[in-house]
Amino acid sequence: MEANPPGDGDRRTSFVSLRALFFAFFRLGLMTFGGAVQSWLHRDIIVRRKWADEETFVSGLSMATVLPGANPVNMSLYLGMRIRGGIGGLIAVVGIVLPAFCIILLLGLAFHRLIGFPVVHFVLAGLAASGVGVTFFTAMKVAWQLPRSAFNIVMGVLVFLASALLRLPMVPIVAIAVPLSIGYAYWGSRHTRDA
Amino acid sequence: MLERLLSLVAVFAPLSLLSFGGGQAIIPEMQHKTVDAQHWLDGKAFADIFGLSRAAPGPSTLIVALIGWQVAGFLGALTATIAIFLPSSLLLYGISTWWRRNPDSPMREAIDKGLAPVATGLFFAGPVVILRSAHAGYLEMATTAGVCLILFFTKAGPYAIAMGIVALYAALYAVAGHALL
Repeated sequence: MEANPPGDGDRRTSFVSLRALFFAFFRLGLMTFGGAVQSWLHRDIIVRRKWADEETFVSGLSMATVLPGANPVNMSLYLGMRIRGGIGGLIAVVGIVLPAFCIILLLGLAFHRLIGFPVVHFVLAGLAASGVGVTFFTAMKVAWQLPRSAFNIVMGVLVFLASALLRLPMVPIVAIAVPLSIGYAYWGSRHTRDA
Repeated sequence: MLERLLSLVAVFAPLSLLSFGGGQAIIPEMQHKTVDAQHWLDGKAFADIFGLSRAAPGPSTLIVALIGWQVAGFLGALTATIAIFLPSSLLLYGISTWWRRNPDSPMREAIDKGLAPVATGLFFAGPVVILRSAHAGYLEMATTAGVCLILFFTKAGPYAIAMGIVALYAALYAVAGHALL
């Protein structure tokens, strides 16, 4: 992990046109159900197209999750910026939001007619469950690539338990876990530097 | 009209900067603001819209487009969407620009390393929270596990998965709908 200078995620990729960037994000914005946008971004942008590397994805995921804002939008903005700078960020956000924006308005218009059919609810529940599957799969891939230090594992598991089982709200979890974790990493790097 | 658009911005732009951990976090506050304070819609309409926003693709925060539509038509939907995404996006833009200008700062490296386990823990928690709040049964859990296996063993993309799920669930419903609901 230390072999690559930080911030190198974009430099090794070949030039990506804004048009290609827009359509890649548009395509994902159209078909990512059940809160799985980030996971499909990982599978499509990082694994398949290789427009940015895993390290870029993880630091983007950290920022997108911890900073305010919808995580998929933050993640698209971050990846777009890493691939093509500020304009790339804008194009990626418009690409991911535009199809969903149109579909949700169409659904809103058709809502009263759709709601009469139980099959609609049934299929939507299936789509939501598949989205959960994608997210779980990507979470495992991301976790696998982190350095497996005792601190990382304990911190990751505690945050998971606090959020998933205790259902604590996001703000206290972040307010406690983030300074602790960053402080430990900072102390660790100074420690090795001094030694 | 302009007044309504401005009130949409006044409600949603601050929520944008409060949405730590993503769109789900601000739903209760959004309900309070739009239902109790502004009376743009009633509680039942809010619940309907919420269900709809979870069924649509993309970020769940797009619920604001439907609220904006109720308040001021298409322009309202557009205004609400920009208001909820722009402030948080500018913040992320500013921070990640600083990030790139200071590649060798030890603090930056510590932030990068320190955030990773926290973000991963939260990332894992997301699916569990969704499954629990949806009261998922065996069918949903089997779907979740099946999708994980398909992703591991194939190169399936979002279209193939979504189409497959729609076909499978529609067929299941046709065969055994009454037993499943």
